[in-house]
Amino acid sequence: MKKQLFVAFFLVLSSAAFTQIVYEFENSVQEKRFYLLISEIRCPKCTSGSIASSDAPISRDLKNKVYELILDGSTDKEIKQYVSERFGAFSDYRPSLSGSNYILWFGPFIFLALILAIFFIRRRV
Amino acid sequence: MNQSLRILIILLPIFILVFFTKILLVDEDLKLSSFEAKNFPAFELDDLNGRRVQSESLNGIKLLNVWASWCITCLVEHPFLTKLSKNNVEIIGLNYKDSKSKANSWLEKHGNPYLFSIYDPRGDLAFDLGVTGAPETYLLIDSKVVGHIQGEMNQQKWETIFMPLIQQAAQRK
Repeated sequence: MKKQLFVAFFLVLSSAAFTQIVYEFENSVQEKRFYLLISEIRCPKCTSGSIASSDAPISRDLKNKVYELILDGSTDKEIKQYVSERFGAFSDYRPSLSGSNYILWFGPFIFLALILAIFFIRRRV
Repeated sequence: MNQSLRILIILLPIFILVFFTKILLVDEDLKLSSFEAKNFPAFELDDLNGRRVQSESLNGIKLLNVWASWCITCLVEHPFLTKLSKNNVEIIGLNYKDSKSKANSWLEKHGNPYLFSIYDPRGDLAFDLGVTGAPETYLLIDSKVVGHIQGEMNQQKWETIFMPLIQQAAQRK
């Protein structure tokens, strides 16, 4: 009896751990998309980290919104667009290949190529 | 080793050091933000007195300050906002994730620098504006959101971020 009471006591206490929102999806594709998306959207309140890794109130709001939009049938692109319209291009952890982002994607390679070019030209002289 | 390579070995670290020091020492808060002007999102909300807020009330040059009675930093910036409103700067409040009674008693206790406060208990309008918490302040010019300050509003931020934008707008008119 004592043992059962002991177990029951901890079971009741542990319910506190389950107060977090549980997201339920219609299928596993939606679920996978959700977890990928929230790992690619930056928490606007954190120094660095995705909304998946953050429990800031704004991250919770963002996760709920992403969840809502997925159930509404929005595509990943539309959802990222929706978020970046409100929280800036900064919010996307995987910057799109467009505009000034080209420097971000190819800058290091161009820099490396330049250094190598200088190195080889120098050696030949 | 030839001469130019030796110079390069000395100059490159110095260059890198200067470059990163410069980047790291810039005060992020005071940097002229790369904020892109956007239209004020559509909304249907009441103010704290229960009156429906008309979108025309956002015309002209106005500040929109996101605040809440639970927000401690809001209390810190409150004297500065009061000072601005006394200097005829028009400030609209956006009461964020708060309760009406707590918000109203907060204003009664500390004073009300706002023309009116939009009551946004779920933070819907705030979300569409891109609010990440309280306090935050937006600069509105003719219903367009043109500037944004996160965190405490103070004299320095007012002068370095919002004043140039207001002057620009005045010149265009």
